[in-house]
Amino acid sequence: MGSPLKKIMLCSSEKEIFSVEEQVMVQHSVIINNMIEDGSYNYEESKIPLDCVDSKTLKKVIDYCTYHTHHHNDNQEDLEAWDAQFLNVDSNGLYDLLMAANYLEIRNLLDLIYRTIKNMIKGKKIDEIRRILNIKDHGFTPEEEEQNRKEYPHFY
Amino acid sequence: MEKKSIHDILPVELIHRILLRVPAKHLARLRCVWKLWYSLISDPHFAEMHFHHSPASTYVFIENDTMAYFVDLDALFRDNNDALQVRKVSLPFKMKSPPRFEVLGSCRGFVLLHQHGRFLVVWNPLTGSSKLISYSHIASRFKPRGWSSFDFDVYGFCYDASHDDYLVFLGWQNEHGRDHFHCFSLRTNSWIDFGDALLKPLGFDNWQSCGLFLNGAFHWVPSRPKDYRDAILIFDLKERTFSTISAPEQLRTSYYSSLTLLGGCLALYYYNDDSYKTDIWVMKEYKVHSSWTLYQIPFRFQPLYLPSAMDLIGKGYDYEWELYIYNFREERLQRRFEHHCFFIDYAAADAVYTESLLPLPSDLKDKDKEENEEEEVTAHTLK
Repeated sequence: MGSPLKKIMLCSSEKEIFSVEEQVMVQHSVIINNMIEDGSYNYEESKIPLDCVDSKTLKKVIDYCTYHTHHHNDNQEDLEAWDAQFLNVDSNGLYDLLMAANYLEIRNLLDLIYRTIKNMIKGKKIDEIRRILNIKDHGFTPEEEEQNRKEYPHFY
Repeated sequence: MEKKSIHDILPVELIHRILLRVPAKHLARLRCVWKLWYSLISDPHFAEMHFHHSPASTYVFIENDTMAYFVDLDALFRDNNDALQVRKVSLPFKMKSPPRFEVLGSCRGFVLLHQHGRFLVVWNPLTGSSKLISYSHIASRFKPRGWSSFDFDVYGFCYDASHDDYLVFLGWQNEHGRDHFHCFSLRTNSWIDFGDALLKPLGFDNWQSCGLFLNGAFHWVPSRPKDYRDAILIFDLKERTFSTISAPEQLRTSYYSSLTLLGGCLALYYYNDDSYKTDIWVMKEYKVHSSWTLYQIPFRFQPLYLPSAMDLIGKGYDYEWELYIYNFREERLQRRFEHHCFFIDYAAADAVYTESLLPLPSDLKDKDKEENEEEEVTAHTLK
Protein backbone atom coordinates (compact mmCIF):
# COMPACT_ATOMS: atom_id res chain seq x y z
CA MET A 1 0.00 0.00 0.00
CA GLY A 2 1.53 3.32 -1.05
CA SER A 3 1.69 6.36 1.18
CA PRO A 4 -1.09 8.85 0.37
CA LEU A 5 1.33 11.73 -0.04
CA LYS A 6 3.69 10.09 -2.46
CA LYS A 7 3.35 10.84 -6.13
CA ILE A 8 4.45 8.81 -9.11
CA MET A 9 5.05 9.93 -12.69
CA LEU A 10 3.39 8.37 -15.73
CA CYS A 11 4.57 9.21 -19.23
CA SER A 12 2.19 9.00 -22.21
CA SER A 13 3.12 8.07 -25.80
CA GLU A 14 3.39 11.81 -26.55
CA LYS A 15 5.95 12.02 -23.70
CA GLU A 16 3.60 14.11 -21.60
CA ILE A 17 4.18 13.56 -17.86
CA PHE A 18 1.28 12.97 -15.46
CA SER A 19 1.84 13.14 -11.72
CA VAL A 20 -0.58 10.91 -9.78
CA GLU A 21 -1.05 9.97 -6.14
CA GLU A 22 0.75 6.68 -5.74
CA GLN A 23 -2.04 4.94 -3.84
CA VAL A 24 -4.54 5.73 -6.61
CA MET A 25 -2.54 3.76 -9.16
CA VAL A 26 -1.33 1.07 -6.74
CA GLN A 27 -4.89 0.24 -5.76
CA HIS A 28 -6.10 -0.17 -9.32
CA SER A 29 -3.21 -1.22 -11.55
CA VAL A 30 -1.67 -4.64 -10.96
CA ILE A 31 1.37 -3.66 -13.04
CA ILE A 32 2.11 -0.44 -11.13
CA ASN A 33 1.45 -2.16 -7.81
CA ASN A 34 4.08 -4.78 -8.74
CA MET A 35 6.59 -2.11 -9.78
CA ILE A 36 6.22 -0.28 -6.47
CA GLU A 37 6.31 -3.48 -4.42
CA ASP A 38 9.42 -4.95 -6.03
CA GLY A 39 11.18 -1.59 -5.73
CA SER A 40 11.80 -1.14 -9.46
CA TYR A 41 10.29 2.37 -9.28
CA ASN A 42 12.70 5.07 -8.16
CA TYR A 43 10.84 8.08 -6.72
CA GLU A 44 13.65 10.51 -7.48
CA GLU A 45 14.20 9.72 -11.15
CA SER A 46 11.70 7.23 -12.50
CA LYS A 47 8.75 7.88 -14.67
CA ILE A 48 6.73 4.97 -15.96
CA PRO A 49 6.73 5.01 -19.76
CA LEU A 50 3.40 4.01 -21.28
CA ASP A 51 4.31 3.99 -24.95
CA CYS A 52 1.02 2.54 -26.12
CA VAL A 53 -1.22 4.95 -24.17
CA ASP A 54 -1.84 8.44 -25.56
CA SER A 55 -2.32 11.49 -23.30
CA LYS A 56 -6.06 11.71 -23.80
CA THR A 57 -6.55 8.06 -22.81
CA LEU A 58 -4.08 8.22 -19.93
CA LYS A 59 -5.92 11.21 -18.50
CA LYS A 60 -9.19 9.24 -18.63
CA VAL A 61 -7.57 6.23 -16.95
CA ILE A 62 -6.20 8.43 -14.16
CA ASP A 63 -9.63 10.08 -13.75
CA TYR A 64 -11.21 6.64 -13.38
CA CYS A 65 -8.69 5.41 -10.80
CA THR A 66 -8.81 8.67 -8.83
CA TYR A 67 -12.61 8.75 -8.69
CA HIS A 68 -12.90 5.11 -7.67
CA THR A 69 -10.23 5.51 -4.97
CA HIS A 70 -11.97 8.46 -3.35
CA HIS A 71 -15.56 7.32 -3.85
CA HIS A 72 -15.36 3.58 -3.19
CA ASN A 73 -17.78 4.00 -0.27
CA ASP A 74 -20.46 5.64 -2.43
CA ASN A 75 -23.57 3.64 -3.08
CA GLN A 76 -23.57 1.29 -6.04
CA GLU A 77 -26.13 3.28 -8.03
CA ASP A 78 -24.11 6.50 -7.89
CA LEU A 79 -20.95 4.70 -8.93
CA GLU A 80 -22.72 3.03 -11.84
CA ALA A 81 -24.12 6.38 -12.97
CA TRP A 82 -20.62 7.87 -12.84
CA ASP A 83 -19.19 4.90 -14.78
CA ALA A 84 -21.87 5.22 -17.46
CA GLN A 85 -21.07 8.93 -17.86
CA PHE A 86 -17.33 8.14 -17.88
CA LEU A 87 -17.70 5.63 -20.73
CA ASN A 88 -19.87 7.93 -22.82
CA VAL A 89 -17.15 8.07 -25.48
CA ASP A 90 -16.99 7.08 -29.15
CA SER A 91 -15.87 3.58 -30.12
CA ASN A 92 -12.28 4.73 -30.78
CA GLY A 93 -12.09 6.12 -27.27
CA LEU A 94 -13.51 2.90 -25.89
CA TYR A 95 -10.95 0.69 -27.69
CA ASP A 96 -8.11 2.96 -26.57
CA LEU A 97 -9.32 2.71 -22.98
CA LEU A 98 -9.60 -1.06 -23.27
CA MET A 99 -6.02 -1.33 -24.55
CA ALA A 100 -4.76 0.91 -21.74
CA ALA A 101 -6.71 -0.91 -19.03
CA ASN A 102 -5.43 -4.20 -20.38
CA TYR A 103 -1.82 -2.98 -20.45
CA LEU A 104 -1.98 -1.58 -16.92
CA GLU A 105 -4.13 -4.50 -15.69
CA ILE A 106 -6.88 -2.38 -14.15
CA ARG A 107 -9.36 -5.17 -13.53
CA ASN A 108 -12.51 -3.26 -12.58
CA LEU A 109 -12.08 -0.89 -15.54
CA LEU A 110 -11.54 -3.88 -17.85
CA ASP A 111 -14.71 -5.49 -16.54
CA LEU A 112 -16.63 -2.28 -17.07
CA ILE A 113 -15.44 -1.94 -20.68
CA TYR A 114 -16.08 -5.60 -21.50
CA ARG A 115 -19.61 -5.20 -20.16
CA THR A 116 -20.13 -2.03 -22.17
CA ILE A 117 -18.99 -3.59 -25.44
CA LYS A 118 -21.05 -6.70 -24.68
CA ASN A 119 -24.14 -4.52 -24.23
CA MET A 120 -23.35 -2.67 -27.48
CA ILE A 121 -23.57 -5.90 -29.49
CA LYS A 122 -26.02 -8.02 -27.47
CA GLY A 123 -29.30 -8.77 -29.21
CA LYS A 124 -28.56 -6.53 -32.21
CA LYS A 125 -28.85 -7.40 -35.88
CA ILE A 126 -25.62 -8.24 -37.68
CA ASP A 127 -25.67 -5.22 -39.99
CA GLU A 128 -26.15 -3.00 -36.97
CA ILE A 129 -23.28 -4.63 -35.05
CA ARG A 130 -20.98 -4.18 -38.04
CA ARG A 131 -21.93 -0.51 -38.18
CA ILE A 132 -21.42 0.00 -34.43
CA LEU A 133 -18.02 -1.71 -34.41
CA ASN A 134 -17.15 -0.21 -37.82
CA ILE A 135 -16.38 -3.59 -39.35
CA LYS A 136 -16.00 -3.02 -43.08
CA ASP A 137 -14.07 -6.12 -44.01
CA HIS A 138 -15.87 -9.00 -42.33
CA GLY A 139 -13.63 -11.60 -43.96
CA PHE A 140 -16.36 -13.79 -45.42
CA THR A 141 -16.23 -14.45 -49.18
CA PRO A 142 -19.26 -13.09 -51.07
CA GLU A 143 -20.48 -16.72 -51.40
CA GLU A 144 -20.15 -17.38 -47.65
CA GLU A 145 -21.87 -14.12 -46.80
CA GLU A 146 -24.72 -14.89 -49.16
CA GLN A 147 -25.01 -18.40 -47.72
CA ASN A 148 -25.17 -17.01 -44.14
CA ARG A 149 -27.80 -14.44 -45.11
CA LYS A 150 -29.86 -17.15 -46.75
CA GLU A 151 -29.51 -19.54 -43.80
CA TYR A 152 -30.09 -17.05 -41.01
CA PRO A 153 -32.21 -14.24 -42.51
CA HIS A 154 -33.48 -13.26 -39.04
CA PHE A 155 -29.91 -12.43 -37.90
CA TYR A 156 -29.51 -9.58 -40.42
CA MET B 1 -10.33 11.61 -37.16
CA GLU B 2 -11.25 8.47 -39.01
CA LYS B 3 -13.36 6.02 -37.07
CA LYS B 4 -11.31 2.91 -36.39
CA SER B 5 -12.69 -0.58 -36.73
CA ILE B 6 -12.60 -2.97 -33.77
CA HIS B 7 -10.28 -5.37 -35.61
CA ASP B 8 -7.76 -2.69 -36.54
CA ILE B 9 -7.11 -2.02 -32.93
CA LEU B 10 -8.05 -4.84 -30.59
CA PRO B 11 -5.89 -7.95 -30.42
CA VAL B 12 -7.72 -11.28 -30.82
CA GLU B 13 -7.09 -12.07 -27.17
CA LEU B 14 -9.21 -9.11 -26.03
CA ILE B 15 -11.98 -9.89 -28.51
CA HIS B 16 -11.94 -13.45 -27.19
CA ARG B 17 -12.47 -12.11 -23.67
CA ILE B 18 -15.36 -9.91 -24.76
CA LEU B 19 -17.05 -12.84 -26.51
CA LEU B 20 -16.66 -14.99 -23.39
CA ARG B 21 -18.97 -12.55 -21.60
CA VAL B 22 -21.71 -12.55 -24.19
CA PRO B 23 -24.52 -14.95 -23.19
CA ALA B 24 -24.43 -18.17 -25.21
CA LYS B 25 -27.80 -17.50 -26.81
CA HIS B 26 -26.38 -14.48 -28.68
CA LEU B 27 -23.26 -16.20 -29.99
CA ALA B 28 -24.78 -17.98 -33.00
CA ARG B 29 -25.67 -14.58 -34.36
CA LEU B 30 -22.27 -13.05 -33.54
CA ARG B 31 -20.53 -15.82 -35.46
CA CYS B 32 -21.84 -14.30 -38.67
CA VAL B 33 -20.58 -10.79 -37.93
CA TRP B 34 -17.00 -11.43 -38.83
CA LYS B 35 -15.06 -14.47 -40.03
CA LEU B 36 -12.55 -14.28 -37.19
CA TRP B 37 -15.41 -14.42 -34.69
CA TYR B 38 -16.83 -17.36 -36.60
CA SER B 39 -13.70 -19.42 -36.01
CA LEU B 40 -13.31 -18.20 -32.41
CA ILE B 41 -16.89 -19.10 -31.45
CA SER B 42 -16.98 -22.40 -33.37
CA ASP B 43 -13.92 -23.73 -31.51
CA PRO B 44 -14.93 -26.43 -28.96
CA HIS B 45 -12.33 -25.03 -26.53
CA PHE B 46 -14.12 -21.69 -26.67
CA ALA B 47 -17.43 -23.46 -25.92
CA GLU B 48 -15.79 -25.10 -22.90
CA MET B 49 -14.33 -21.81 -21.60
CA HIS B 50 -17.55 -19.96 -22.26
CA PHE B 51 -19.49 -22.55 -20.26
CA HIS B 52 -17.24 -21.99 -17.24
CA HIS B 53 -17.78 -18.21 -17.50
CA SER B 54 -21.58 -18.46 -17.58
CA PRO B 55 -24.01 -18.50 -14.66
CA ALA B 56 -26.50 -21.34 -14.21
CA SER B 57 -29.47 -19.05 -14.61
CA THR B 58 -31.68 -20.32 -17.42
CA TYR B 59 -34.99 -21.68 -16.24
CA VAL B 60 -36.50 -24.30 -18.56
CA PHE B 61 -39.89 -25.97 -18.36
CA ILE B 62 -42.29 -27.63 -20.74
CA GLU B 63 -45.82 -26.51 -21.27
CA ASN B 64 -48.56 -28.41 -23.10
CA ASP B 65 -46.05 -31.23 -23.64
CA THR B 66 -44.88 -29.72 -26.93
CA MET B 67 -42.99 -26.51 -26.28
CA ALA B 68 -39.98 -25.76 -24.12
CA TYR B 69 -39.93 -22.34 -22.44
CA PHE B 70 -36.75 -20.57 -21.39
CA VAL B 71 -36.43 -17.69 -18.95
CA ASP B 72 -33.11 -15.96 -18.25
CA LEU B 73 -33.35 -15.55 -14.46
CA ASP B 74 -30.20 -13.46 -14.23
CA ALA B 75 -31.53 -10.93 -16.76
CA LEU B 76 -34.86 -11.02 -14.92
CA PHE B 77 -33.10 -9.89 -11.76
CA ARG B 78 -30.82 -7.30 -13.37
CA ASP B 79 -33.19 -5.66 -15.84
CA ASN B 80 -35.73 -3.43 -14.21
CA ASN B 81 -38.53 -4.84 -16.21
CA ASP B 82 -41.34 -6.65 -14.47
CA ALA B 83 -42.55 -8.46 -17.55
CA LEU B 84 -41.29 -11.96 -18.07
CA GLN B 85 -39.16 -12.39 -21.20
CA VAL B 86 -39.76 -15.91 -22.40
CA ARG B 87 -38.12 -17.73 -25.28
CA LYS B 88 -40.07 -20.56 -26.83
CA VAL B 89 -38.46 -23.50 -28.65
CA SER B 90 -40.13 -26.54 -30.22
CA LEU B 91 -39.02 -29.86 -28.79
CA PRO B 92 -36.44 -31.69 -30.89
CA PHE B 93 -38.77 -34.44 -32.08
CA LYS B 94 -41.83 -34.29 -34.21
CA MET B 95 -44.31 -36.87 -32.96
CA LYS B 96 -47.38 -38.27 -34.64
CA SER B 97 -49.32 -38.45 -31.38
CA PRO B 98 -48.97 -35.57 -28.91
CA PRO B 99 -45.80 -36.39 -26.97
CA ARG B 100 -45.66 -36.16 -23.22
CA PHE B 101 -42.22 -34.83 -22.54
CA GLU B 102 -40.96 -33.65 -19.22
CA VAL B 103 -37.68 -32.24 -17.99
CA LEU B 104 -35.73 -34.70 -15.86
CA GLY B 105 -32.54 -32.73 -15.37
CA SER B 106 -29.75 -30.79 -16.98
CA CYS B 107 -25.99 -30.73 -17.33
CA ARG B 108 -23.56 -28.34 -19.07
CA GLY B 109 -26.13 -26.81 -21.41
CA PHE B 110 -27.93 -30.09 -22.11
CA VAL B 111 -31.45 -30.76 -20.94
CA LEU B 112 -32.57 -34.33 -20.21
CA LEU B 113 -36.10 -34.93 -21.46
CA HIS B 114 -38.25 -37.94 -20.79
CA GLN B 115 -41.08 -39.26 -22.85
CA HIS B 116 -43.15 -41.34 -20.47
CA GLY B 117 -42.54 -45.03 -20.73
CA ARG B 118 -40.58 -44.80 -23.97
CA PHE B 119 -37.28 -42.99 -24.21
CA LEU B 120 -35.03 -40.20 -23.00
CA VAL B 121 -33.61 -37.33 -25.02
CA VAL B 122 -30.44 -35.36 -24.28
CA TRP B 123 -30.86 -32.00 -25.97
CA ASN B 124 -28.88 -28.78 -26.30
CA PRO B 125 -31.65 -26.27 -27.06
CA LEU B 126 -29.15 -23.66 -28.29
CA THR B 127 -27.29 -25.74 -30.86
CA GLY B 128 -30.22 -28.04 -31.57
CA SER B 129 -27.98 -31.07 -31.10
CA SER B 130 -29.84 -34.00 -29.55
CA LYS B 131 -29.53 -37.69 -28.82
CA LEU B 132 -32.28 -40.20 -28.24
CA ILE B 133 -31.76 -42.88 -25.57
CA SER B 134 -34.09 -45.84 -25.58
CA TYR B 135 -34.55 -47.78 -22.36
CA SER B 136 -37.14 -50.23 -23.67
CA HIS B 137 -34.84 -53.26 -23.34
CA ILE B 138 -34.36 -52.58 -19.62
CA ALA B 139 -37.99 -51.70 -19.12
CA SER B 140 -39.23 -54.89 -20.75
CA ARG B 141 -36.81 -56.99 -18.68
CA PHE B 142 -37.57 -55.46 -15.35
CA LYS B 143 -41.14 -54.32 -15.86
CA PRO B 144 -41.10 -51.14 -13.83
CA ARG B 145 -44.33 -50.11 -12.18
CA GLY B 146 -46.83 -47.67 -13.61
CA TRP B 147 -46.19 -47.36 -17.32
CA SER B 148 -48.63 -44.54 -17.64
CA SER B 149 -47.27 -42.50 -14.75
CA PHE B 150 -43.72 -41.77 -13.70
CA ASP B 151 -41.39 -44.71 -14.16
CA PHE B 152 -38.22 -43.97 -12.25
CA ASP B 153 -37.76 -43.48 -8.55
CA VAL B 154 -34.37 -41.85 -8.81
CA TYR B 155 -32.65 -40.36 -11.83
CA GLY B 156 -29.79 -38.09 -12.65
CA PHE B 157 -27.71 -36.59 -15.44
CA CYS B 158 -24.05 -35.62 -15.05
CA TYR B 159 -20.74 -35.02 -16.78
CA ASP B 160 -17.82 -37.29 -16.01
CA ALA B 161 -14.79 -35.09 -16.73
CA SER B 162 -12.29 -37.93 -16.30
CA HIS B 163 -13.77 -39.73 -19.32
CA ASP B 164 -15.26 -36.69 -21.10
CA ASP B 165 -18.58 -38.51 -20.94
CA TYR B 166 -22.19 -37.66 -20.13
CA LEU B 167 -24.00 -40.18 -17.94
CA VAL B 168 -27.70 -40.71 -17.34
CA PHE B 169 -28.60 -42.69 -14.21
CA LEU B 170 -31.94 -44.37 -13.61
CA GLY B 171 -33.01 -46.26 -10.52
CA TRP B 172 -36.29 -47.85 -9.59
CA GLN B 173 -37.88 -50.55 -7.46
CA ASN B 174 -39.67 -53.37 -9.22
CA GLU B 175 -42.95 -54.92 -8.13
CA HIS B 176 -41.09 -57.42 -5.90
CA GLY B 177 -39.45 -54.58 -4.01
CA ARG B 178 -36.06 -55.08 -5.63
CA ASP B 179 -33.97 -51.99 -6.44
CA HIS B 180 -32.39 -51.51 -9.86
CA PHE B 181 -29.77 -48.99 -10.84
CA HIS B 182 -28.63 -48.45 -14.44
CA CYS B 183 -26.48 -45.93 -16.23
CA PHE B 184 -26.24 -44.87 -19.87
CA SER B 185 -22.90 -43.59 -21.21
CA LEU B 186 -23.25 -41.20 -24.14
CA ARG B 187 -19.63 -41.72 -25.14
CA THR B 188 -19.84 -45.51 -25.44
CA ASN B 189 -23.52 -45.37 -26.38
CA SER B 190 -24.28 -48.25 -24.02
CA TRP B 191 -26.03 -49.18 -20.77
CA ILE B 192 -24.23 -50.34 -17.64
CA ASP B 193 -26.01 -52.25 -14.86
CA PHE B 194 -24.94 -50.83 -11.50
CA GLY B 195 -27.01 -53.37 -9.58
CA ASP B 196 -23.85 -54.69 -7.91
CA ALA B 197 -23.29 -51.37 -6.18
CA LEU B 198 -26.54 -51.96 -4.30
CA LEU B 199 -25.14 -54.00 -1.43
CA LYS B 200 -28.30 -53.61 0.59
CA PRO B 201 -31.79 -52.55 -0.48
CA LEU B 202 -32.10 -48.78 -0.67
CA GLY B 203 -35.87 -48.80 -0.78
CA PHE B 204 -36.33 -46.63 -3.87
CA ASP B 205 -40.07 -46.89 -3.41
CA ASN B 206 -41.83 -43.85 -4.83
CA TRP B 207 -38.89 -41.46 -4.34
CA GLN B 208 -39.47 -39.34 -7.45
CA SER B 209 -36.14 -37.70 -6.89
CA CYS B 210 -33.97 -35.90 -9.40
CA GLY B 211 -30.31 -36.35 -8.51
CA LEU B 212 -28.41 -33.28 -7.53
CA PHE B 213 -24.84 -33.55 -8.80
CA LEU B 214 -22.30 -31.94 -6.48
CA ASN B 215 -18.67 -32.75 -5.60
CA GLY B 216 -18.53 -35.72 -7.98
CA ALA B 217 -21.58 -37.41 -6.48
CA PHE B 218 -25.33 -37.61 -6.92
CA HIS B 219 -27.62 -36.73 -4.03
CA TRP B 220 -31.19 -37.89 -3.70
CA VAL B 221 -33.86 -37.45 -1.07
CA PRO B 222 -37.13 -39.45 -1.04
CA SER B 223 -40.10 -37.18 -1.74
CA ARG B 224 -41.44 -38.21 1.71
CA PRO B 225 -38.47 -39.31 3.84
CA LYS B 226 -39.23 -41.90 6.51
CA ASP B 227 -36.70 -40.41 8.91
CA TYR B 228 -34.37 -37.41 8.98
CA ARG B 229 -31.53 -39.84 9.78
CA ASP B 230 -29.69 -40.98 6.66
CA ALA B 231 -32.40 -39.30 4.60
CA ILE B 232 -30.07 -38.19 1.81
CA LEU B 233 -28.64 -40.91 -0.42
CA ILE B 234 -25.29 -40.23 -2.09
CA PHE B 235 -23.76 -42.09 -5.04
CA ASP B 236 -20.08 -41.37 -5.61
CA LEU B 237 -19.36 -41.51 -9.32
CA LYS B 238 -15.66 -42.38 -9.08
CA GLU B 239 -15.89 -44.89 -6.22
CA ARG B 240 -19.22 -46.26 -7.47
CA THR B 241 -20.46 -46.57 -3.90
CA PHE B 242 -23.55 -45.46 -2.02
CA SER B 243 -23.55 -43.64 1.29
CA THR B 244 -25.99 -41.49 3.24
CA ILE B 245 -26.06 -38.27 5.24
CA SER B 246 -28.73 -37.03 7.62
CA ALA B 247 -31.16 -34.21 6.97
CA PRO B 248 -31.91 -31.62 9.70
CA GLU B 249 -33.72 -33.09 12.74
CA GLN B 250 -36.75 -30.87 12.01
CA LEU B 251 -37.64 -32.85 8.89
CA ARG B 252 -41.02 -34.59 9.29
CA THR B 253 -42.20 -37.55 7.23
CA SER B 254 -45.28 -35.65 6.12
CA TYR B 255 -43.23 -33.02 4.28
CA TYR B 256 -42.62 -33.35 0.55
CA SER B 257 -38.89 -32.73 0.29
CA SER B 258 -36.61 -31.83 -2.59
CA LEU B 259 -32.95 -30.99 -3.04
CA THR B 260 -31.51 -28.04 -4.89
CA LEU B 261 -28.23 -26.19 -5.28
CA LEU B 262 -28.10 -22.69 -3.75
CA GLY B 263 -24.93 -20.63 -4.01
CA GLY B 264 -22.91 -23.79 -4.58
CA CYS B 265 -24.31 -25.49 -1.45
CA LEU B 266 -26.60 -28.48 -1.09
CA ALA B 267 -30.03 -27.32 0.05
CA LEU B 268 -33.15 -29.25 1.12
CA TYR B 269 -36.56 -27.61 1.09
CA TYR B 270 -40.17 -28.49 1.86
CA TYR B 271 -43.43 -26.73 2.61
CA ASN B 272 -44.05 -26.84 6.34
CA ASP B 273 -47.78 -27.49 6.84
CA ASP B 274 -47.56 -26.58 10.54
CA SER B 275 -46.13 -23.09 10.11
CA TYR B 276 -47.39 -22.42 6.55
CA LYS B 277 -43.86 -21.59 5.54
CA THR B 278 -41.35 -23.02 3.12
CA ASP B 279 -38.31 -24.19 5.04
CA ILE B 280 -35.07 -24.05 3.09
CA TRP B 281 -32.14 -25.76 4.78
CA VAL B 282 -28.73 -24.95 3.32
CA MET B 283 -25.76 -27.19 4.15
CA LYS B 284 -23.15 -24.43 4.32
CA GLU B 285 -20.27 -26.87 4.71
CA TYR B 286 -20.51 -30.02 2.70
CA LYS B 287 -21.20 -33.12 4.85
CA VAL B 288 -21.00 -31.10 8.09
CA HIS B 289 -24.30 -31.79 9.83
CA SER B 290 -24.05 -28.80 12.19
CA SER B 291 -23.81 -26.45 9.21
CA TRP B 292 -27.49 -26.94 8.13
CA THR B 293 -28.87 -23.40 8.23
CA LEU B 294 -32.58 -22.58 8.03
CA TYR B 295 -34.13 -19.89 5.82
CA GLN B 296 -37.88 -19.44 5.76
CA ILE B 297 -40.25 -17.98 3.22
CA PRO B 298 -43.80 -17.34 4.44
CA PHE B 299 -45.62 -19.14 1.60
CA ARG B 300 -45.22 -22.02 -0.82
CA PHE B 301 -42.00 -21.50 -2.72
CA GLN B 302 -39.72 -23.52 -4.96
CA PRO B 303 -36.23 -21.99 -4.93
CA LEU B 304 -34.63 -21.73 -8.37
CA TYR B 305 -31.73 -19.29 -8.43
CA LEU B 306 -29.81 -17.05 -6.06
CA PRO B 307 -28.90 -13.90 -8.03
CA SER B 308 -27.40 -12.14 -4.99
CA ALA B 309 -26.69 -12.98 -1.36
CA MET B 310 -30.03 -11.53 -0.26
CA ASP B 311 -32.36 -12.37 -3.13
CA LEU B 312 -33.85 -15.65 -4.21
CA ILE B 313 -35.79 -16.22 -7.42
CA GLY B 314 -38.31 -19.02 -7.31
CA LYS B 315 -41.66 -20.34 -8.25
CA GLY B 316 -44.10 -19.21 -5.59
CA TYR B 317 -47.77 -19.57 -4.81
CA ASP B 318 -49.79 -16.48 -3.97
CA TYR B 319 -53.24 -16.98 -5.56
CA GLU B 320 -51.47 -18.64 -8.48
CA TRP B 321 -48.03 -19.99 -9.34
CA GLU B 322 -45.72 -17.27 -10.61
CA LEU B 323 -42.05 -16.39 -10.61
CA TYR B 324 -41.03 -14.12 -7.74
CA ILE B 325 -37.98 -12.55 -6.19
CA TYR B 326 -37.94 -12.96 -2.43
CA ASN B 327 -35.69 -10.60 -0.46
CA PHE B 328 -34.36 -12.06 2.79
CA ARG B 329 -33.32 -8.75 4.34
CA GLU B 330 -36.76 -7.20 4.01
CA GLU B 331 -38.44 -10.60 4.45
CA ARG B 332 -40.89 -9.97 1.69
CA LEU B 333 -41.63 -10.68 -1.93
CA GLN B 334 -39.90 -7.99 -3.84
CA ARG B 335 -41.14 -8.55 -7.33
CA ARG B 336 -43.56 -10.65 -9.20
CA PHE B 337 -43.30 -11.14 -12.91
CA GLU B 338 -46.25 -10.49 -15.12
CA HIS B 339 -46.80 -12.73 -18.06
CA HIS B 340 -49.72 -13.66 -20.22
CA CYS B 341 -48.29 -16.28 -22.48
CA PHE B 342 -48.26 -19.38 -20.33
CA PHE B 343 -49.36 -20.88 -17.10
CA ILE B 344 -46.79 -22.12 -14.61
CA ASP B 345 -47.81 -25.44 -13.18
CA TYR B 346 -46.41 -26.41 -9.81
CA ALA B 347 -46.13 -30.05 -10.79
CA ALA B 348 -44.35 -29.31 -14.08
CA ALA B 349 -40.85 -30.72 -14.02
CA ASP B 350 -38.35 -28.00 -14.65
CA ALA B 351 -34.65 -27.23 -14.33
CA VAL B 352 -32.29 -24.33 -13.93
CA TYR B 353 -29.18 -24.74 -16.06
CA THR B 354 -26.27 -23.05 -17.80
CA GLU B 355 -26.75 -22.45 -21.52
CA SER B 356 -23.79 -23.59 -23.59
CA LEU B 357 -22.61 -24.28 -27.12
CA LEU B 358 -20.98 -27.54 -26.06
CA PRO B 359 -21.25 -30.55 -28.37
CA LEU B 360 -22.06 -34.10 -27.32
CA PRO B 361 -19.29 -36.70 -27.75
CA SER B 362 -21.20 -38.12 -30.73
CA ASP B 363 -21.39 -34.67 -32.39
CA LEU B 364 -17.61 -34.44 -32.50
CA LYS B 365 -17.26 -37.88 -34.06
CA ASP B 366 -19.78 -37.17 -36.80
CA LYS B 367 -18.87 -33.53 -37.13
CA ASP B 368 -17.82 -33.52 -40.78
CA LYS B 369 -20.68 -35.73 -41.78
CA GLU B 370 -23.41 -33.76 -40.10
CA GLU B 371 -22.15 -30.22 -40.16
CA ASN B 372 -24.61 -28.93 -42.72
CA GLU B 373 -27.54 -30.65 -41.12
CA GLU B 374 -26.68 -29.29 -37.67
CA GLU B 375 -26.42 -25.72 -38.92
CA GLU B 376 -29.99 -25.90 -40.11
CA VAL B 377 -31.21 -27.03 -36.72
CA THR B 378 -29.27 -24.19 -35.09
CA ALA B 379 -30.93 -21.64 -37.32
CA HIS B 380 -34.28 -23.11 -36.54
CA THR B 381 -33.93 -23.23 -32.77
CA LEU B 382 -32.32 -19.85 -32.31
CA LYS B 383 -35.12 -17.82 -33.87
